[in-house]
Amino acid sequence: MIAQTTSNSPVANTSYKVVLPFYVYAAVAFLVATILLLSSTKAFHIHYFHPQLLAITHIMALGWGTMIILGASHQLIPVLIESGLYSNKLAYASFVLTGIGVPLLAYAFYTFDMGDPAKWGGRFVVIGILTYLINVAKSMARSKTENVHATFVFTATVWLFITVLLGLVQVYNFTAPLLQEDSLHYLALHAHSGILGWFLLLIIGVGSRLIPMFLISKYTNDRLLWLVYYLINISLLSFVMIFYFPSEKNLIFLPIAGVILSISLFVYYCYKAYQQRIRRQVDEQMKLSLLSIVMLLLPMLLLVAVVSFIINSDTENIVLINVYGFLIFFGWLTAIILGMTFKTLPFIVWNKVYHVQATQGQTPNPKDLFDDKIFKIMSIAFIAGLLLFVAGILAAIALMLQAGAILLLVTAILYNFNVLKVVFHKIPKL
Amino acid sequence: MNIISNNNEKCDLALNALRNVIDPEIGLNIVDLGLVYQLDFDDEQQIVYCRMTLTTQFCPMGESITESAKSALQQCFLDCRIELNLSFEPVWNQSLISEEGKRFLNQ
Repeated sequence: MIAQTTSNSPVANTSYKVVLPFYVYAAVAFLVATILLLSSTKAFHIHYFHPQLLAITHIMALGWGTMIILGASHQLIPVLIESGLYSNKLAYASFVLTGIGVPLLAYAFYTFDMGDPAKWGGRFVVIGILTYLINVAKSMARSKTENVHATFVFTATVWLFITVLLGLVQVYNFTAPLLQEDSLHYLALHAHSGILGWFLLLIIGVGSRLIPMFLISKYTNDRLLWLVYYLINISLLSFVMIFYFPSEKNLIFLPIAGVILSISLFVYYCYKAYQQRIRRQVDEQMKLSLLSIVMLLLPMLLLVAVVSFIINSDTENIVLINVYGFLIFFGWLTAIILGMTFKTLPFIVWNKVYHVQATQGQTPNPKDLFDDKIFKIMSIAFIAGLLLFVAGILAAIALMLQAGAILLLVTAILYNFNVLKVVFHKIPKL
Repeated sequence: MNIISNNNEKCDLALNALRNVIDPEIGLNIVDLGLVYQLDFDDEQQIVYCRMTLTTQFCPMGESITESAKSALQQCFLDCRIELNLSFEPVWNQSLISEEGKRFLNQ
């Protein structure tokens, strides 16, 4: 009667206990970063290698971006590789280790103490990321299927490990000369292996699976995704080569062009998925996530201006570099996280609270677990805050910077409100 | 929507019950979403066999959906044992969504 290729129950998901701490940690980190931003607006007139800006950048990159991606990926990796997560214990370990390391690093940068706090912070982060890398590698080794999305995730994780390892070496280089040049010299390498190798590869790898899934789109194009994959990696590797063996200055535009092309191709991929969607209505969370992908083109075009300025005048344009970094961490990365949090977190909590109850109309929908009105206000505050702050950096107007920072702080408060509302959701009493 | 069954009358009853099970992300019931592949009825042993799928093998909502489907069938066939089997052959795709389901998603 019944075909043989069946199983009686769905494969178990990663436990919510593993995933939720990452989300809560990231939300708090975002709040802390926006508070520091409000108190450090003057630093944006000085230099990007400023203690306060280094602290904010590391809280945003590690505490906010990386922590939430680690949390979500423990839930999403099984979907991508079609196999269970190798170890919940390793996932806990990566949370605890990275979670201890980030505030130590942030404190070290803020006070510019490159002694024990920075070294211990860096060590904890490196070991935390190594445990995550082992968990991803072991999970993938168990998987029978090989696909482009999983390859993106694994390669991104390798780049993340390279990034934090280089970061730790840079920290040591402050007190003992390990590298040929000072640590600032290697900042571009450290930053771009993180921004492009980790964040961009991972977001494209996961986004290319989730965006068509959430839109219920028929569109798939693995060939295009493989092209994007090779373009980003070749661009990054050639950037490393040019960095170590500088000859013709203009060669630097080649990896930049490669990255811009790969992002444009991914924008095209998302557009086709959007065009061929079966579900006509697109919710606010998806709109914000899709907007963030287009938003990435802006800092990349700005990078062309930054590099052109350096080549033509032999000096750095601090204002443009600050806008570039700000648009990456507070713009692109934050936009995609603000959107995707409420496409993933409510489902994780819904499964925790209602998994034994029938989905027969008695239970709320996952999207009912957070306040949609708050989400909309948060989105408006975010976009307004971002634009004001960028205008403030460009025009060097303190009031604009302050206003932008206040709006971003409001964004973080509203985001935390909704995250906590979801995390502490309980079955309503009748 | 081609659901295999050895008893069309009971199949209709079962499908009506399963239409109450909603995929929480999409908001569409699992029948119109095309997740139900086969419904067979063993009258002698009083067993209802249901073969169904998920939109993806590691669907985070998988357990909730299958438990709900089981519960809906149990409420419909009180004296029967429900045997629910998950199958990923064929793998679910958008073409399995019914015309009714497509209309719902087009709104």
